[in-house]
Amino acid sequence: MSPDGTYTIGELADLADVTPRTVRYYVAQGLLSSPAGAGPGARYDEDHLRRLRLIRRLQSEHLPLAEIRRRLEGMTPDEIEALVTSEPAPAPDSALDYLDALLVHRSGHQASAVLSRQAWPSLMRGIESSPPPSGRPAEPPQVIERSQWDRIQLDPDVELHVRRPLSRIQNKRVERLVELARQILEEDAK
Amino acid sequence: MTLSIRQDRELVRATYRSHRFVLATVTAPTVEPVGARPSVNLAFVIDRSGSMAGAKLPLAKDAVDQGLRRLDPDDRFAVVAYDDSVDAVVQSTSASPEAVANARRALSAIEPRGSTNLGEGWLTGCRQVALSQRADGVDRCLLLSDGLANVGMTDRDELAGHAAELRRRGVTTTTFGIGDDFDERLMQLIAEHGGGNFYYIEDARQIPDCITSEVGEALDIVARGVVIEVSGPPHLEIDALGVMPLDRRSDRTLIQLPDLVSGQELSLVVRLTFPYGQDGDSIAAAFSVSDRTAVLDPSVATLSWRYADAAANDAQPRDRIVDRAVAAAFGARVRREAVELQRRGDYEGAERAIRGVARRVRAYAGNDPELRAQVKELGAAQVAFAAPMAVHELKIQHAQTSYLLRSKDAMGRSRRQPPQ
Repeated sequence: MSPDGTYTIGELADLADVTPRTVRYYVAQGLLSSPAGAGPGARYDEDHLRRLRLIRRLQSEHLPLAEIRRRLEGMTPDEIEALVTSEPAPAPDSALDYLDALLVHRSGHQASAVLSRQAWPSLMRGIESSPPPSGRPAEPPQVIERSQWDRIQLDPDVELHVRRPLSRIQNKRVERLVELARQILEEDAK
Repeated sequence: MTLSIRQDRELVRATYRSHRFVLATVTAPTVEPVGARPSVNLAFVIDRSGSMAGAKLPLAKDAVDQGLRRLDPDDRFAVVAYDDSVDAVVQSTSASPEAVANARRALSAIEPRGSTNLGEGWLTGCRQVALSQRADGVDRCLLLSDGLANVGMTDRDELAGHAAELRRRGVTTTTFGIGDDFDERLMQLIAEHGGGNFYYIEDARQIPDCITSEVGEALDIVARGVVIEVSGPPHLEIDALGVMPLDRRSDRTLIQLPDLVSGQELSLVVRLTFPYGQDGDSIAAAFSVSDRTAVLDPSVATLSWRYADAAANDAQPRDRIVDRAVAAAFGARVRREAVELQRRGDYEGAERAIRGVARRVRAYAGNDPELRAQVKELGAAQVAFAAPMAVHELKIQHAQTSYLLRSKDAMGRSRRQPPQ
């Protein structure tokens, strides 16, 4: 972030976990207002970030963009903030969860199963024991090629990093962990 | 206007459960490809079983190479090769120039061998796509095969079910069937349930064309998660004459369409079955289209029908454009059914099924030249299907009906608006 509290398109995209192309697309679609300035000097502000996070959130709940646009119209920054931080609706399992459950079940894919078992204890030991790769991860070595790190935001200041794939049971446990953690963090805030 | 609708007739019978047809055409906007396209995330899944030896495998590898060159560093790709074992030859990676160069080397090392674990090869490709899935991109697995799934998961319905579940979770699949020996029912089912495209590649030399055309379409997709919603009063039955999956809710029917490319025109025929009614009463249905990123105009269009006596029904005018689309859709459906009957050796059944549709189309063809031409074509098909047909010919028939029912052109490509 610059001293004046604005972001470049790259910074904004990173913060909201989208590509710069997506940001441009939403601007073209009228879901985000145009940035101040143009070209490489274009600057986005806190309001852009809030809106972008809310759009992602509503998209993950499978709302069409037309509906998202309707909802965003006339909302104040506070209302947007409140929605962004509210409890998300339970999402259906992802394509990755679905495939992992399917492929782990089959023989010949022990690789992913073994990995999950390895990943689980390290996850339970705590976050500090396994720092996630920062920035764009380098191409990982052969043995862990099947895994990836997922970032789960528990609160504006706290994140949980989870190595995928996990088995269905482990996923359920992580979900519980996330739910509990969010409750605890909310208590703290009061 | 994104969605246009027209009805074949306006009157329905009061004392009979009338069928009426609506031709719905969705037109995707033409978008200039200037930096605003969604990023694509593809997996190329290549059959390297023994039967791919000869020209097929080198052409397939070459085709993947050509496809990769069209990607930008914002895009992602993976390459999976399968025979009885499955290797993610290139793990999902961003399409940087170095990654593409590495992939080229990895591709050249793929050699034909073994039997065909198509199911797991495909699912492994989908998994590579899922690893890098983003809500705003095009996530698609491209599955190439020239053979039958003979190892691992081989059940068609099971695989089709997985295709539908993966589509629901945002990963679509396109399939390419090469030559005379692949399982076209399986490949077609995966593509239809998987929300992608199906290509029949008659001659190995067409492999690069088909793959680059598919990659080009993936790059050109402007509307994803496209759904036509039809709602009407209770007891009005709504159906689609095609291969698009339907989702029936209590008060509306959702017809799931494949992703649309820039300028694409997709037509489908909706069949309505009316409840009994009172002469003079009206009944209406509402049609609208929506997509995940709201590039299509979501406005609602309605059509209404009026109950009338038999004489008025018989005398009413018909919209020939709808009639032609209806006849073509029924023609494609029956040819598809006839291919199945041929495979079971029921030549008489195949002939009888086609004759039935020809008779019905003839009944309303009147002097319309295009409808008369369709009747003539069905007559020719009737003769052809009455005797055993070559496997190759059945493959062509099957692919053509699939293209027609999915509103594609004769090469399996999307139809687009002529440039203005």
